[in-house]
Amino acid sequence: MEFFTDNLVTVTLVLPILGALGIGLFTESEDGARWTALGASVLTLVASLWLVVDFDPDAGVQAVDSLSWIPSIGASLTVGVDGISLILIVMTAFLTPLIVLSSWEHPDRLRSYLMAFLALEAASIGVFAAQDLLLFYVFFEFSLVPMFLVIGMWGGANRRYAAVKFFLYTLVGGLTMLVGIIYIYNFIGGTSLAFADIGLLLTETPLSLLEQRWLFLAFFLAFAIKAPLFPVHTWLPDAHTEAPTAGSVFLAAVLLKMGGYGFIRFCLTWFPDASTELATGSGSGFFSVPWLMVLSVIGILYGAVVALVQPDIKKLVAYSSVSHMGFVVLGIFALNATATSAGVVQMVNHGLSTGALFLLVGFLYDRRHTRMIAEFGGLAKSTPVYAGMFLLVVMSSIALPGLNGFVGEFPILVGTFSVMPWAASLAAFGALLAAIYLLWAYQRMFTGPLDGAANEATTDMTQREIWVMVPLVVVIVAIGLYPQPLYDLVEPSVQQVLANVAQ
Amino acid sequence: MTETLADLSSDVSIAWSSFAPEIAMTTAVVILLLLTIAGRRRMWVATPLGLGIAAVGVWLVAAGSSVGGLVALVGGLGLIAATFGLAGAPRALHAWIAGGGVAAALVLTVWIAFDVLAVGDGQMAATSTMAGSLAVDGVAVFTRVTVYLTTLMVIPLGHAYLGDHGIHRPEFEPLLLLSATGMALFGAANDLITIFVALEILSIALYVLAGIARRDRRSQEAATKYFVMGAVASALLLYGFALTYVVTGTLDLADIATQLSQLDIPLRLAAVSMVLVLVGIGFKVALVPLQLWTPDVYQGAPSNVTAFMGAATKAAAFAAMLRLLLVAYAPLSDMWVPVLAVMAALSMVYGAYTALRQTDVKRILAYSAIAHAGYATIGVVSLSNEGLTATLWYLLTYAITTIAGFGVIIAVERTHERLVTVHDLRGLGTTSPALAGMFAVALLSLAGIPPTIGFVGKLTVFTAGVEAGLTWLVVIGVVSSVVAAAYYLRLMVVMFVEKPGDDAVEPAYSPGWNIASVAAVVLVVYLGLQPQYLLDFAERAAGLVR
Repeated sequence: MEFFTDNLVTVTLVLPILGALGIGLFTESEDGARWTALGASVLTLVASLWLVVDFDPDAGVQAVDSLSWIPSIGASLTVGVDGISLILIVMTAFLTPLIVLSSWEHPDRLRSYLMAFLALEAASIGVFAAQDLLLFYVFFEFSLVPMFLVIGMWGGANRRYAAVKFFLYTLVGGLTMLVGIIYIYNFIGGTSLAFADIGLLLTETPLSLLEQRWLFLAFFLAFAIKAPLFPVHTWLPDAHTEAPTAGSVFLAAVLLKMGGYGFIRFCLTWFPDASTELATGSGSGFFSVPWLMVLSVIGILYGAVVALVQPDIKKLVAYSSVSHMGFVVLGIFALNATATSAGVVQMVNHGLSTGALFLLVGFLYDRRHTRMIAEFGGLAKSTPVYAGMFLLVVMSSIALPGLNGFVGEFPILVGTFSVMPWAASLAAFGALLAAIYLLWAYQRMFTGPLDGAANEATTDMTQREIWVMVPLVVVIVAIGLYPQPLYDLVEPSVQQVLANVAQ
Repeated sequence: MTETLADLSSDVSIAWSSFAPEIAMTTAVVILLLLTIAGRRRMWVATPLGLGIAAVGVWLVAAGSSVGGLVALVGGLGLIAATFGLAGAPRALHAWIAGGGVAAALVLTVWIAFDVLAVGDGQMAATSTMAGSLAVDGVAVFTRVTVYLTTLMVIPLGHAYLGDHGIHRPEFEPLLLLSATGMALFGAANDLITIFVALEILSIALYVLAGIARRDRRSQEAATKYFVMGAVASALLLYGFALTYVVTGTLDLADIATQLSQLDIPLRLAAVSMVLVLVGIGFKVALVPLQLWTPDVYQGAPSNVTAFMGAATKAAAFAAMLRLLLVAYAPLSDMWVPVLAVMAALSMVYGAYTALRQTDVKRILAYSAIAHAGYATIGVVSLSNEGLTATLWYLLTYAITTIAGFGVIIAVERTHERLVTVHDLRGLGTTSPALAGMFAVALLSLAGIPPTIGFVGKLTVFTAGVEAGLTWLVVIGVVSSVVAAAYYLRLMVVMFVEKPGDDAVEPAYSPGWNIASVAAVVLVVYLGLQPQYLLDFAERAAGLVR
């Protein structure tokens, strides 16, 4: 027992891998695979919650486990968590059992399907927990493979295009980051790749501004594509549309967060001058424009406007993701404790709300095999429970006070307003648009007369589906009512990062 | 066990230990040829041969060389046992003897690395023997490891395939072993004549191997093309050597360097000779613009020969290139570094873009081989020990990945008379998930996606490149990696996304294939996760006799 509690992060990381291997090697039946996947993911959740219990927000990176890996290049298997890593890990661990449950009756090659999601869970937890640059990179790139397979093997009609586009876009970013990693590695003398050592060595011998700009760009591209930030978001709608429900949920809820996480962990921490310059426009010439703010705001408005005209509900949610992630990036690069912490919290909120939306859209698609808003109408009468859940999640997504979206979005706007009022104002307009497109879609789908036999025959949620949604709804409401614990976890870590920027 | 190289050389004046692996290889070749001649009376040949070898082993052990002696003893007795045990299966017997020879060579190589060349704290000594004509250093040892490991895997991998295609002729194994011996010598040769002789040994055997499918016109075309172009490249190389001799008056690589660093040499002539050498070697490693033969030869040659060619030849030719450029022509590095860097860049870009439009799987891998030659060259132009390590290591990663990838093609081709096209792989992920998974691992490794060995390879060459200030070259490498990923992905998409067609291929497996292929795939992943030991070995091997 002591072994487990002493190496909690490793345990959290290894459990899904064991689950995937277990399914691959030891289960014959689909039932075995289901229960193995559920068991592994629930145990992962337990381990991650245990981490929260033991966590001391003010202690920085903790629960560090380190194993020797490739000493000759200074890479080690080091994992650990700070507040930012932790809440993202918990979110990942929380969503995976629900994803497994939602895929309980997935008709096609179920065992491989579940293995892919457990592999994705492990890769994501690895990304958030890695405290070594090479290890981070390995997980970051590896996460592409199972997602590629999920889209490619179980996706919709146009899955081939979507899967390849997803892979190539993300790979472009990953490889530019690799060049950046190698450059930093050489710059600090090629001795260590541990975050802590790199941070220390970079404060001793700072990078020049020019180097920071290039390195910022190299890392930024990787995370901007992942987040995704306008104008490198174009893979996302395709991937979401073609991915199976569970794939969309994982993509939106977890994989996109690697982008926001990377901005904080690398761009802000190691290239503070370049970050400040690009976030505030304090430089001259090209750098007199606060590009990060501009791109975020364009992303928010563009995503919202495009979502407005989508006839396909899943595409609508996908574009709303572009818009919402714009808020996250805006908050992160507003560079004050309020907005940046809220950006981190909003990552979790977006994961929950959009994940829930994708699940609900998936449930409907399972029944009707269409996602066209125009084909639905008056569903609130035939499927009251579903309609109620949908409304609540929509409200959470448009940041209604009392639900989780609000407690992230509002501080982002407040914090951004204090440094850049125009950006906050435009972003607020994006929030307004979100209300319009989501509520309008809700209105068209659920209210009005119940027209057509198909709508009448649509059945309400099954027991299993309800149980998938209940935990999500509970957490959505709980965070909305009492967000403080989340902020308590995140804020000290964010302040540590920002202290570096302010210097 | 405890003797050092110096002791051995003082005893027998030739340091036999320094080319002991090649002795094992040539012995195996001779045995195989004699057994072929003996036909049904092979026991009468094998028994005295085996006893003789065992006797030599006993003598060696008595003389104090226990590793070499034990290898000979086991080999000799094993030969007799195999001949009696496999009396009814001459084809299997040949494969086993060949495999035994290579395994013995591999053991002796490891012995050289860890015993003969050990000079404390894990470093390897760098010396030469036979009046300086053979180098005994890390590069020579590491190249042997790559070449022999590849050969050892290729033999079981292609055994059943050769049988199915009716091309398992008795000369196959001897030629394969001879070629591998040539490659090992190519990596160890330390003067111009030895380099040339080794090149011819490996090349001539390969020409024949490429055309061993006599009734297949593509194989004939491959062999002819390879032979004609290879002969021209050899001639240019030889001409370059001759001019170098004219300029420097010596054949020894280190002496050439000394002479070339004098101020009063005819620089233009030296440059011309170096360019000719670059062309000759560039042809063997298939760098743009000397790559034109690669796709046709890769496509036409039997798949197991292609695997061997791609994996082992590249390693050997790069070792010779490292030796020639970093030792002999080191004083002219201002001239060749830019040229070679541009060639590397062109290779990476050309290999990546051209493969995009191919439909034949072997051609795709051929273009990918061109791109990979470019990556390995980054380590050469880095002009550092890190670069040397990176290139050696990259070639090992590429060799193992190539074996894994071609293993799948071999399995598919066994029941498939035509060439394997992308189309044929449709739905392989559904019909043969394990095979498709193995190919996917190989493709991911070629694309350099972690956690595979290919990623670690790319990481080391890129790191060496950036360290040497060649960031532009690394950036080109990164860009071409993305393009290359597109066609590796295309293959994955075909396997996993598309539905199987009516004419779906039916892969065939054999025990030998299973072992070799699974070993290769496991190595791709295991060394991707835990590269430390071999990477460390590559690092220690980064020493050249100068």
